[in-house]
Formats: sequence, structure tokens, C-alpha cells
Amino acid sequence: MNYFDFVKILSPEIVLLLVAMGIIGMGCRGGKFAEAGACAFLSFVGVLLAVGALIFCAPDGQMAGGMIVLDPLVRLVKFAILAMVAVAVVLLQADRPSYHVAENFAMLLFAAIGLLLIVGTEEMLVIFVGLELAGLALYALAGFARSDLGAAEAALKYFLFGSVAAAFLLYGMSLIFGVCGTTELQAMSAALRKNAQEPILTAGLAMALVGFGFKVAAVPFHLWAPDVYQGAPTPAAAFVASGSKVAGFFILAKFLFIGFGGLEGSAGWGSFAPGWVPMLGVMAALSMVVGNLMALVQKSVRRMLAYSGIGHAGFLLLALMAASAESLEAVVFYTVIYGVATLGAFGVVGVVVRERGGDSFSRFAGLVKREPVLSFSMLVFLCSLAGLPPLAGFFGKFFLFTAAMGAGGILGAAPGLLWLVALALFFSAVSLYYYLLVLKQIFFISEDGVAGCSGEGLGVVPRAVIFLLAVVTVGLGCFPDLLLGPIHRAVEVLLGN
Amino acid sequence: MDNPILSYLWLVPVLPLVSAAIIAVCPQPCRRLAATLTIGSMIASFFVALAAFLTVLGVGGSAGGHGGGEVFRGFFNFEWFRFGGEALRLGLLLDPLTAAMLVMVTFVGSLICIFSVGYMSHDKNFTRFFGFLSLFSAAMLGLVIANSLLLLFMCWELVGLASYLLIGFWYHKPSAVVAAQKAFITTRIGDLGFFLGMVWLSSEAGTLLFYDGGNGLLEQSALTKMATGLTVGGMAVSTVISLLLFCGAAGKSGQFPLHVWLPDAMEGPTPVSALIHAATMVAAGVFLVARVYPLFSVVVGPETVSAALQVVAWTGAFTAVFAACIAVAQNDIKRILAYSTVSQLGYMMLCLGVGGLAGAIFHLIAHAFFKALLFLGAGSVIHGCHEEQDIRRMGDLRHRMPVTFVVYGIGMMALSGFPFFFSGFWSKEEILHWTHGWPVSQVPFYMALGGAFLTAFYMTRQMFFVFFGKKHSKEAAGAHESPAVMTVPLALLAAGAVLLSLVATPAWPWFHHFIEGGETHFDFSVFFVFGNLALMGASILVVGAGVGIGWFLYGRKDLPEAVADPLDRAAHPVFQVLQNRFYVDEFYAATVFRVLRGAAEVAAFFDRFVWGGIVLFARGVARFFSVFADVYDRHLFNDGFDSGCEAFRDSGGFLSRLQNGKIQSYLGVAGAGVVLLILIIAWI
Repeated sequence: MNYFDFVKILSPEIVLLLVAMGIIGMGCRGGKFAEAGACAFLSFVGVLLAVGALIFCAPDGQMAGGMIVLDPLVRLVKFAILAMVAVAVVLLQADRPSYHVAENFAMLLFAAIGLLLIVGTEEMLVIFVGLELAGLALYALAGFARSDLGAAEAALKYFLFGSVAAAFLLYGMSLIFGVCGTTELQAMSAALRKNAQEPILTAGLAMALVGFGFKVAAVPFHLWAPDVYQGAPTPAAAFVASGSKVAGFFILAKFLFIGFGGLEGSAGWGSFAPGWVPMLGVMAALSMVVGNLMALVQKSVRRMLAYSGIGHAGFLLLALMAASAESLEAVVFYTVIYGVATLGAFGVVGVVVRERGGDSFSRFAGLVKREPVLSFSMLVFLCSLAGLPPLAGFFGKFFLFTAAMGAGGILGAAPGLLWLVALALFFSAVSLYYYLLVLKQIFFISEDGVAGCSGEGLGVVPRAVIFLLAVVTVGLGCFPDLLLGPIHRAVEVLLGN
Repeated sequence: MDNPILSYLWLVPVLPLVSAAIIAVCPQPCRRLAATLTIGSMIASFFVALAAFLTVLGVGGSAGGHGGGEVFRGFFNFEWFRFGGEALRLGLLLDPLTAAMLVMVTFVGSLICIFSVGYMSHDKNFTRFFGFLSLFSAAMLGLVIANSLLLLFMCWELVGLASYLLIGFWYHKPSAVVAAQKAFITTRIGDLGFFLGMVWLSSEAGTLLFYDGGNGLLEQSALTKMATGLTVGGMAVSTVISLLLFCGAAGKSGQFPLHVWLPDAMEGPTPVSALIHAATMVAAGVFLVARVYPLFSVVVGPETVSAALQVVAWTGAFTAVFAACIAVAQNDIKRILAYSTVSQLGYMMLCLGVGGLAGAIFHLIAHAFFKALLFLGAGSVIHGCHEEQDIRRMGDLRHRMPVTFVVYGIGMMALSGFPFFFSGFWSKEEILHWTHGWPVSQVPFYMALGGAFLTAFYMTRQMFFVFFGKKHSKEAAGAHESPAVMTVPLALLAAGAVLLSLVATPAWPWFHHFIEGGETHFDFSVFFVFGNLALMGASILVVGAGVGIGWFLYGRKDLPEAVADPLDRAAHPVFQVLQNRFYVDEFYAATVFRVLRGAAEVAAFFDRFVWGGIVLFARGVARFFSVFADVYDRHLFNDGFDSGCEAFRDSGGFLSRLQNGKIQSYLGVAGAGVVLLILIIAWI
């Protein structure tokens, strides 16, 4: 591996960086090039170039002891994130940001670079730098609508909570480094086997989990999420809920599976053993309970989506607890289809917010009359989130819970997590209720005389993109193998090494 | 056998499916869009089907005389999803049977869709109608190209659903709703057998793919295994599975005793009767038997004819004669055609049973053409006579509806088997030929001849009532010819009914070899082999007798509505039995329904007295205790409960204070979370 390979592996990030710089430059110049359309187009081209770089330029390999890693699975996840960035670009353009137009797009791309960096590394410091890069860009993105008090508040909360979480993460990492003397995940796990009983390690791990728990919005580190989802501009919230979550869960899985492999412990009912699995168990159980119960009583659809997202994070943590190849596959599959459905749902919410001036449930009344295609898409997204067959969410949950039941398939060798799976199934049924509340408003309640403060309608491109997301959700539901197959093969390659 | 056409084959069912999906989300006023999408997708499918057909023709070598006796068989299997270590695979199949069916279904379907534009023009649910038609076409085409019994079964159920939706299309008519439910439930009884057979087959053969490069269930190794395995009563496993599958086929294709739904299904709009209940869906049962023919016909040891095929043959023969008898005494123009359909389906089953695979399929396709023609003709008549369906109230329509009269006449002659220029004659000829050569018994042959006589007779009766004589009602007097969008498809179907006769004469049995393989030579001398000549003579004689007697009874003088039917006068009791359809429905009402009702009564009794009594008792006990509890509650517990509630409210307040929007408290919760995590590990 020489320096040139280093550049080649990082070529998607480099491309995005150059494009983002270019966009900022255009923003400074002002005029026609600083308008949303031009910036969106350029960002979109940048994403396409990055995808191209990922396909044609970047080779598989490892650099500098795992600082930069590219293998088939990483490649897949990077694809997913880039696709979500592309969708977010379209949504952002449709949202017509009023301040700092060019910087909006640039920040989105910076956040994407950060996420790509986290995904493609096996080294704690790069993880931290990536998380911070993505985080800072997203804080700014959430706060750009400076005339909107809600957005400013959301951004500030997001920033404060995020920086404290980052402090915890950094402190946790330094404790871990203190115990094992390395920041590389592979080397770490070898060192940890010798020092497994260090109490300081427990503290370090718990603090690191704060950082990751913040990123994936798991209870009790979730409190920022509802405020941010509700207050921030819809496209920013959509990206926080989708792309950021994919990366967060992927790196959490890597951090635990690689760095702390062998220190799992157990959360089986009656057979608890110390390790990271019981910690995740607590977070998973709390997330499922709190997320789903709080979602029941929300009046705002974006808050509801935030709390339901917290519930989904609980399901995903549950799958991570199985600590097997299957669970990694299931988590990647689920985060991707969750991201797709959430992006789409936020896209539809954005339309309602713009046309009706708010996102409370009653604003959705009679949407089917005005926007039949978007309503149908919303039906697909919410039913997929609720896990109804034959949509992708059903298979996602199915694989998730199967993985949690043990590596050997249903009722395999380790049914110890049965109590958590039962809890998850119960709350998954509860979740159907609040999704249906929205659908009821859309399809069955006719609009009362609220005169719409109707803004401009949605353009053709964002409309098509939302519909495309719905098609993907249905398609992956009918043929889950289209996505699961590549994931499975990528994981097999990984295990083979 | 990789062929480029295989990678496009999926388009055939998917195009109508997409059209159905689009129409489903269209609002009612999009009439033009719905009709355009449906017809467009059907025609596009037709062209793909035609390409597939030509490919089979070119590669198979059965046409043109080059190549061996092999038939073309291409398949394309794919993994649907993986479940643990098991993969569920589905597939598409292209062989001559599929190709012929595809072309027939898409061609007849396109014409019927075009016809519907005129026929349904006044209906306010026009859009929904075309959506259902598209859904049906998609399911039917999927059924035909499936290379997996499971995929076939899924499409099989979908066509059943579409049929249910379309029979009950005029859901404001109670009779239509009842008919739809009857159709759905009756076929479901047969499907139960189908399902059991499929499950058993899956466990025996280990796969549900028909062909899979040697591992399919219709390939040698699986067949041998199933034919040699024995089960209860010493029957081969293959026989029992075949019979179970045949239950499903009999239900779908209206074979006795599951035929009762088909005549009632005529409550649906006439284009539906033509497409689903005459040309395509009802033939699915025949198609199923033809598709798994290797399974039905496999025998080991000394037997020459498998038991399963014998059952098929006898059921078919009985149904053919039975339904033809009923058709003689009906007065509703569509009901006569419906019973005639049941009877013709019986012929197809009979032909399959006696080994004539190609003959059965040829009859299926020829029948699809002329029966669709007859139904659409009947639709044109009904449309022209302002929804009158009783043939006794028509008459003299040949002057008022000349085009309909001509094409209906062609359809009638094709169905009756008029010699030489009609496809029905040659297909019937082939059936008679195969039944005559059946080694087991000659009885079906004579039954088939009898059926042919009855067919000619009842069709002649219908023709005279409808088109000749004097006008018998206001409606008939006010009849008018239908618009071109209805008559042009009729003319095209009529042409098909005649032209098809060219490809299956004994002198040039092209179709036979297309299906079963082999080379085709033109050999006119076959006509003069004594056996063939005698058979043909017998059949012409029988048809002539049928038409002649029909003319003698109904054609010589006008029969007003009030005058009793000549047959009724001649043999009143027999005619009554026929008119009441052998009392099969009444028999079911008296037996099956009564048993069910009895069971329901018993269940109701248990519910009301036994379980109800237990509940009452439990209620009494609970009440008794509740009195105590009330006292206890009011004086001891209430105070405690009130204070508990307060604590709960406080804790709720606490929880909501956590999410109070203050970032300081958020961070406090997060900090507490870290401590919690550490404490948990420490505690463990």
C-alpha cells in the first residue's frame, strides 16, 4: 500500500470535499450561482461523482493499521449513505432554504464526508473525528433557518447535547486507550482479552456508549431527538434520521464486534454476565418502551417520527446484542430500509408543513384528495415502518428478530434474548397504532374549512424521488434478496478474511 | 436452453399488472386512461407472446420439418427469498403449451377488452371494471408461464379473486353478490384439494419447480420416486397427488359435482362471462392437468393407463353429457352457453384422460375462440334487446342485427361441429378419435357421440328462438345493431374460429406436433383410411341428426312465448328435471347445507347454554365477591388508592419534566444514564 492507494481509497470523500468547497465559493460569489437550483445540481453531480469514484477508483484494502478501511460491506454502506445524501439534496432543494443557500448544501456534503469517514475506519480517533465532522455540519444545517426560533433552539440543543456526548465519548476512548494502549480496534480486542476485568474499562465503555447512543438516539441519550426533528428544517431532520443513523449503527456494530469481541457478557434472562451486551440490553429495553409510549401521545407528526425512531433504535440495539454475522446483516438491512422510509415520510411531512403551515396530525386531514400519489407513498412508508408485509419493513423486522433469537435461526441455540424479543414484538404492535393515526387523518378525515396557507407546490423531481422511495420500499419487500443478497455476500467476504 | 426471449417473458404478466396498479389509484373519471392502459398492455403482451410463440416455433423444429422430435422447453428460475438455509425458488417456463396459451389468452383478451369499451360504456364504474380486467389478465398470464406449482397456485388464487370481483361487479344486485360468493366458495372447496396435493408434492419431490435441469418435479427422477412409492390402499403416491390436484382443476373448470357455480357466474357483465367463464379462467383446470400431465400419466409395472387419468376421463365424459342435457331445457341465452361451456370443458378433460394431450389443448383454444365469440354475440344481442336474456322473448333478430347474426351463426356451427370448415369439427374429431382408441372402455366414446348430438340440438334450438320466427316482445322489436367497437372484435373472433381449423386436420396435424413434438407432413390420404372415414361419418351423422331434429321441433313454425316447449309437451317429467338442472343445487341444499346448519345449531346450543351458563355462573361468583370487594375498597383501599394516584401523577410530572425543553436537564438525564450503565455492570 502506497500513498497513492490512500488517495484512491479516499477518493469519494475527496471528490465530495472539492465539490463542497466549490459550492461555498459559489455562495460567496452570490448571484445566480448561489441559488438553490444550481447548488442542488452541483451537489447532486458531486454525489454521482463520489459514487463513480467508489465504483471505479477505490480499491479494497486497509491503510495505516485500520485507519482507513474499504471492504465490500463498507462499500455497500457507503453506497447507501451516498444515495440518502442524494435524496436529501433533492428534499433540501424542494424546501427552498432562505438563508445561506449554498452553505446549506455544502454542510450537507460535509456531513456526508464525516459519515463516510466513520463508516470506513477501524480506529477510534478517526471515528471521533468523523463523528465530530458530521456532527458539526449537522448542527449548522439544523440552525441555518435563522429567522425561525424553533430551528435556532433545536440547533442549539443539538449542539450542546452533541458536544457533551462527544466529551463523554472522548473521555471514554481515552480510558479505553489507557487500559489497552492502542486506538486500533483490531489490536484493542487482543489487548482487552488480557485485561478484561479492569473496572476502569467498564467506565470507559459506558462513556463511549454515550457518544454512540447520542448518534443513534437511544434512551437515555435521546432527549435531543424530538426537539431537533420538530424544530430543524425538514430536510435536515430527514438526513439526521436516515443517513446519520445508518452510519451510527454501522460504526457502533464495528466498535463493539471488533474492538470488544470476546467481552460480550450475556443478557439472557437469569443468566446475566457483565459485558457490553447487558448495557445494550438496558438501552434497547428503555428505548423500545420510552420511544413507543411517548410516540403514542404526540400531537406533532415530526415528534411522533422522532419517538418512533427511538423505538426503532431499540429494535436495532436488540439485534446487535446477538453479536453474530446474521445480526450485522440484519442491522445493515434494517437501517437502510428504515432510512429510506424515514426520508420518504419526512419528504411528505415537508410538503404538508409548507402547504398547511404545521405538522400536527390534523394538518394531514384530507391529504389524499390533494396529493393522492404522496398519500399513497406515505401509506407505504408508514406501513413499512410498522412492519406490515409485504413491505420492506416486515422483512427487516423479521431478520432483526430472527437474528436476536440466536444465530441458528428461529429458536436456535440461544433463546436467552426471548424476553427482549417478546417486548420488541409487543411494542412493534403498539407502534402500528400511532402510524395508523396519521393514515387515518390522510385517508378518512376530510379537510375542514382550514384555509390552507398554501405555498408553492412540490416540483416534479422531489415528487418522483418520494415515489421512487415508495417503490423501493415495496420492491425490497417483495424481493428482499436484492439487498440482503449483496449484504450477505459482503459479510461472507469479511468473515473469510 | 438459453434463449433471449426468456429474459423478456416476465413482461407478459407484468404489463397488465402495472396497468392494474395504475388504474387502482386512478379516480373514477379517468375512463379513457383506464381503457387505454388495459387494452394497450394487453396488446403489448400479445406481441411479446407472439415473439415467444415464434421462438418456440423456430427452435422446436416441429414446424418446417427440420430438427428432431424434441419440443422446445426453456425455463428461467430465480430465488425469491432465503429462509435460513432454504431458498424458495420460483420460475418462468416457456414450452409449446405455454406459448399457445399465451397467444390465445392475450389475443382473445385484447378483443374482449375492446368489446367491453362499447358494452360497459354506460356503466359508472367503468374504470374499476378495467382495473379488474387488467388484474385478471395479469394473474391468468402468470398462471400460464409459471414454472413452479407455488407460483401457479398464487396466480390461480388471484384469478379466483378477480373472478369473484367481476361476478359481483354489479354488487347492488343481490343475485350477483350471491353468485360471486358461490363461485368463490365452490372453487375454494376444490382448491383445498389442490393445496393438500401441493404440500404433499413438495414433501415428496422436495421442490415445487416443474423443470429444473433434472431436479424438477416433472422430471424423471422425481416421477419415478413418486410412482413407485405406495400409500394407503396400495395406491401410488403419484396417483393420490394427481387426484388431489384434480380436485382443484375440477373446481376451477366446473366439472361435476363442482360445476354449480359456473352457470350462476353469468350474473357478471357479459364480457366477463366471455373472458373468464368461457375462454380463459375456466380452462385453467384443463391447463393444470395438461401442465402436470407427466405426473398424471406416470405408471409403473403392468398397467398401461394410470388410475388418475381414468378418473379424469370418466369425470369429463359424465360432465360433458350431463351438462349438455341441462342445456337442452334452459331459456336464458347466457345460461345455455354456460352449460355448454361446462359440457365442452368435460370434453377437454375426457380427451386428457384418454391420452390426447394435444387434442385437449386444441379443443381448449378452439373453444376459447368460438365460445368467446358466442358470449360476446350473446352480449351484443342482450345489449341490442335492452337487457332481455330470455330467448323466448326474442325472435326475428336476423333482420335487425345482421352482423351479429352472421358471426353468431359461425360460432354456433363451430360449437356444434359442422363439418370441414370450422375448428370445432376438427377438434371434436380428434377427441372422438382418441376416445375410440382408449383401451379401457368404449363407453366414453358413445357418451361423447351423444354429447355431440345434444350440442348440435340445443344450439339449433337457440338459433331458431333468437334469430328466426316472429318478434315476441317489445324489446325484440326495438332491437338495434351494436356499434363497431363491439362488432369488429366479433368478426375477428369469427375469423379465428374458422381459420384455426386449418392447423389441426388429420391430413396436416401441425398443432399436434407443435405440442407433442414430431414432424408434420401433408398427407391427404389419411382421410381415406377406413377408421378415420367411419369416425368422421359417424360424427357428421350425429351433428346432422341434432340440427335436423332441432329444426323439426323449433324451426318449422313460430313458437310464441306462451306455447309450451315441444319437448315439454312430449315428455313433461323429463323436461322438468332438466329444466331444474337435475336438482343438484336443491340436493346440496338438502344435504350439505342441512348438515352445516345442523352443526351450526349444535354450536349455537353449546354457546347459548353450556358456555353461556358457565359465563353466567362466573358472573354470579364475581358479583358475589365484588360485594365484598366493594366494602373493602370503599373503606380500606380507597384512601390508599388516592394517594397512589397522586404519586403516579407526580411521577408523570417528573417524566414530562425530563422532556421539558431545558438542555440542562437533558444532560442530567444523560449523565444519570452513564451512571446507570456502570451500576448495572457492577451489580451483575
